[in-house]
Amino acid sequence: MHELGVVIEVVKTVERFAKANNVSKIDKLVLQIGELSSMIPKYIESCYPAAVDGTIMEETKLEIEILPGNAICKECNSIFNFIQSKGKCSKCGSNDIELISGKEFMIKEILAC
Amino acid sequence: MDTYKILEIKESVFENNDRQADLLRIDLKKDKTFLLNLMSSPGSGKTTTVLRTIEALKDEMNIGVLEADIDSDVDANTVSKTGVKVIQLHTGGMCHLDADMTKQGLSGLGTKGLDLAILENVGNLVCPAEFDTGASKNAMILSVPEGDDKPLKYPLMFSIVDVLLINKMDSIGFFDFDLEAVKERVKKLNPTIKIIPITAKTGEGIDEWADWLRTEVKNWNAN
Repeated sequence: MHELGVVIEVVKTVERFAKANNVSKIDKLVLQIGELSSMIPKYIESCYPAAVDGTIMEETKLEIEILPGNAICKECNSIFNFIQSKGKCSKCGSNDIELISGKEFMIKEILAC
Repeated sequence: MDTYKILEIKESVFENNDRQADLLRIDLKKDKTFLLNLMSSPGSGKTTTVLRTIEALKDEMNIGVLEADIDSDVDANTVSKTGVKVIQLHTGGMCHLDADMTKQGLSGLGTKGLDLAILENVGNLVCPAEFDTGASKNAMILSVPEGDDKPLKYPLMFSIVDVLLINKMDSIGFFDFDLEAVKERVKKLNPTIKIIPITAKTGEGIDEWADWLRTEVKNWNAN
């Protein structure tokens, strides 16, 4: 359960952004989490209320978008989902692959007024 | 009714910390202080290794230690007996240190005239790997009783460190620990990593570790 510290970091970043952009009320926060990142969306959601407690984001809703963990095969150049194909190229079965997405943990946007 | 608009932030969550860490590294370079971030699971022998390291190097350089724990000051107490400067940092429940906390710790310790600062991070193989502390180099300890499968279970930690100490080598006969398999697994994640088997309790392998550290400190503090 290492998500709390990270979510507090998210809140700090959004607060800073809000201040710099003269935003006083945030309706919704949208995060993007790669399916290969070490952050578990369910845990992010459960520690979110604790992280926003007493901040300007107390009433802010949280939305999480999951980004797929895709890889490219260096042998045949096909792109496939890393988890579904268990780390091997889904076309030729090669192990010589490179991850192209899935490790992200991004603050995408806020809905504010 | 309020009119809402979408403001794009598009910022990686770790970006702010990464920025702070880079600034801290610039300061450390200026102050000629090498900061080693030492990470491991609880009970792998971090404090004993720190004590051995102090013993091996204290005659040739000024050393300071930052002890980070969720609570208590037992480690700071143990280390202070060696006579080096030590400060205890409490993370207050947090499972890792970030660059900002490290910076505060370093200013509490005082880096003036300090050649080597050792940060003993919170015992944990997950979160400390994700937060750059601003250290010059990152090291981790894996102890034999923890098992040779740890590089498979905590790949991020093994892939971000510059050096891996494999501790408690004297106990290898009691455990199913395949040293060659560990080396192979780690090299696959991190081809340039330096691996040094040690036994902090007896001092075995500490010479090689002290040599590595000596060279790194020298390079960092050169100009």
